[in-house]
Amino acid sequence: MDTLRDKTAVVGVGASPQGKFPGSSALSLAVEAFKRALDDSGLKKDQIDGLLTMPGTTAPEAGLNYLRLGETLGIDPRYTGSMNMGGGTAGSLLHQAALAVNAGMANYVACVFGDAAATGGSRFNRASGWGDSYGIWGFMAACANSAIAASRHMALYGTTSKQLGEIAVACRKHASMNPDAIMRKPITIEEHQASRWIVKPLHLLDCCLISDGGVCLIVTTKDRAKDLKQPLVLMSGMGQAYTTQNMERDDWWYVPHQKLALDDAYKMAGVGPKDIDVAQLYDNFTMSVLLWFEHGGFCKVGESGSFVEGGRIQLGGELPINTAGGNHSESYMEGWLHLVEGVRQMRGACGERQVKGAEVCLVTGRGQALNCANATILRKG
Amino acid sequence: MDEYKKPLPTISDENRGFWDGAKRGKICMQKCGDCGHIRYPISHCCPKCLSLKFAWTDLSGRGSVYSYVVFHQLYNQAFKEDVPYNVAMVQLEEGPRMFSNVVGVDNDAVKVGDLVEAVFDAVTPEVTIPRFKLPSKA
Repeated sequence: MDTLRDKTAVVGVGASPQGKFPGSSALSLAVEAFKRALDDSGLKKDQIDGLLTMPGTTAPEAGLNYLRLGETLGIDPRYTGSMNMGGGTAGSLLHQAALAVNAGMANYVACVFGDAAATGGSRFNRASGWGDSYGIWGFMAACANSAIAASRHMALYGTTSKQLGEIAVACRKHASMNPDAIMRKPITIEEHQASRWIVKPLHLLDCCLISDGGVCLIVTTKDRAKDLKQPLVLMSGMGQAYTTQNMERDDWWYVPHQKLALDDAYKMAGVGPKDIDVAQLYDNFTMSVLLWFEHGGFCKVGESGSFVEGGRIQLGGELPINTAGGNHSESYMEGWLHLVEGVRQMRGACGERQVKGAEVCLVTGRGQALNCANATILRKG
Repeated sequence: MDEYKKPLPTISDENRGFWDGAKRGKICMQKCGDCGHIRYPISHCCPKCLSLKFAWTDLSGRGSVYSYVVFHQLYNQAFKEDVPYNVAMVQLEEGPRMFSNVVGVDNDAVKVGDLVEAVFDAVTPEVTIPRFKLPSKA
């Protein structure tokens, strides 16, 4: 069977400044990111013939975001569309871009996201269900789903809040080496423990940031990428899977589709967990990261709590994660910056936080009420 | 009595069986008329076999705490007097799971795995909300 292993390249990455920028909009931040990614790639605007977008929570045009962005950028694409899977969108759109360029439906696809969530004060609230809202019982906000997962994981396997804290500490340590990160002051486990409860068993420092910013990645085929200016970074493996049923599945809380997405990505790339040199794991809440280790085969079911102890997931450890700081400390770009950092690690362009000799990077995304998951394996070309 | 300001269901033909059941003091869910699957959340069709046939069926009201969280963050002003309050994911004896609250005890008194039984909280003349309690001590 023919596969897309190593046939696609990410040739341009760019991000706007990250933080809180009153006066900016989802659109203006997306445009800034696009310009930076275009410059990074060395392509001309008129060469971009594919445009895939994620409407930020503050983009009023929602599902018609692709039209607004195309008009603003002056691009009339051969291939376009918008998708919203929350934190599962970035990886899904990157995969869609890979399919499009390999099918010949576009040559250079820009995947673009912009959001002014910090300024716009938008809420992330798919947690409350569709019809008879779970809000009747006070169940609301994204944190609640991860708290449900953490509470059950703790009860079944003895996982502790301090172990969750190891993830927050690692993200912050790495952000301290990233001049573009929003939160750069290192934190301790004690500070994690002392931070206020949000939805117990999750503390404030178990939660990601809410940020303004934009991110763009440009995708083409490996053959076209060879003529461009950046070191070659290939998409070796891609996988996606979804659990749409929350209450109907007794393992919904365990996010079982993460394993399916990872297994597909490993299979396409022809690698396994032992081959991963560095990982950018979607961290809306610390609990999410624990489950990635279990589903990715880095440790056994129930053992992720002890797995993350002792500096294993920090730079210099066996499996450094979220080397730019992740959603927790770099900026909450819903996983888009995880892909950017993965590309930069594979270029060897991360300076102080570069994982030396890294050739394979796993990047994961997840979104909505534990519903969406994807995995991308990037490789140094 | 103060007006109840927290979220209420919009009762419709689709969900009336559940809320009428609660007024009668029962957890009442839809049982598929073809495959027998008891489903939740409420839906017009069975997620197992897509049958449109179902009967509203009274359940025992017994279950156990499947997962359990305590909201300290105030996301909706209507819960201002309630924080910190708990939400339990309850595994019902007959198979379905639902979110609800465990009432009558401190938040710290409830653990995953605890047995619970339904109690019914008439919050308005029209709406009774099913909640749960730990079993009465003998």
